[in-house]
Amino acid sequence: MVGKFEQLSRVKELAFVGKVAAGLSHEIKNTLAIINESVGLMGDLLSKEAPDNWQAYPRLKSIIPSIEEQVQRSAVIVKRLNRFAHSSDKPVTSLDLNELVQEITTLAQRFARLLGVGLEAQPAPEPLQIASDPFRIQYVIFGFIERGLWRCSPNQTKVTLACARSEDMAQVIVTDQGSPEGDWLRKQIAAALSPAGISGEEEDPELGILALTMAELGGSVEIEEVGQTGNKVILVFPAKIPET
Amino acid sequence: MDGYSVLLVDDEEEFVSALSERLMLRGIEVEIALDGEEALARMKEKPPDVVILDVMMPGLSGLEVLKMIRGSHPQTQVILLTGQGSTKEGIEGMRLGAFDYLIKPVDIEEMLERMKEAVKAIGNG
Repeated sequence: MVGKFEQLSRVKELAFVGKVAAGLSHEIKNTLAIINESVGLMGDLLSKEAPDNWQAYPRLKSIIPSIEEQVQRSAVIVKRLNRFAHSSDKPVTSLDLNELVQEITTLAQRFARLLGVGLEAQPAPEPLQIASDPFRIQYVIFGFIERGLWRCSPNQTKVTLACARSEDMAQVIVTDQGSPEGDWLRKQIAAALSPAGISGEEEDPELGILALTMAELGGSVEIEEVGQTGNKVILVFPAKIPET
Repeated sequence: MDGYSVLLVDDEEEFVSALSERLMLRGIEVEIALDGEEALARMKEKPPDVVILDVMMPGLSGLEVLKMIRGSHPQTQVILLTGQGSTKEGIEGMRLGAFDYLIKPVDIEEMLERMKEAVKAIGNG
């Protein structure tokens, strides 16, 4: 566990990264708005003033909507970046775990696509409102998604993220169809949470950091094997992050 | 509905220049201002029917300019432009009396539609 100063310093550093990223995303949106209006004006002028026998006109006319489409696509990406950047604004805030899981699943889609693995969020039917740290929750969920993707990669199978309520706790269940590694995962996590902690010599030291982060969030990590066909990582979050 | 006047306020010169030209091609009378102070000066000279106002500008912010316009020109409708992913500023602007808000980059047809509704609202107001 980290001390008060380290904790405060980490919060401030994250807020700094978030502020700069949010500022940059705002700038990118302004640039996109200029491209959007400039190409729109080009289209307006072409429609109004292009000579009838100008051979390039049909081709130019077809390029304009394609540029506009890419501007809108970029605007959606920038919006995601902006929301992600703002997730580090406050160390504790009220959030809907369903929404957060959908957001982080969208952010992880590109990594899944590159590995040829399917990735799907399955939100709970009702909102899963908790008071916690959105940035660190996203970090933990992303870490377990990434590990699920790596396990699924050779056979290009699938990772799913199911959200559920369990009494007064909220759960995110990351299920992968990769090689079963339940015992190994349990051992790594138990070692990280033991008094000896993480030495850095582990096979996957970040896995230990993920487990420790879950503990700091007042939650836990449970591992189940899905027969011989994969792994289930159950991330359990309390309704309210413990005060430190 | 054609023939109404618009004041376009944004510190991005290329954006206002291209957008104003597009609106003029559609028969709308357009004035431009590159900051809040310039916008308020133009409002004094010739109040438009609609102000398209960027929220984030150096100097006076869009929301500050909005408050002043609401106080001095209650007949003029204000549509805010926000470049941010969040709709927080837009919602705050509507609470302060903006007619509506649009998120950049804006679809021109959507902007025209909102402006027409804003002009109609002046008639009904």
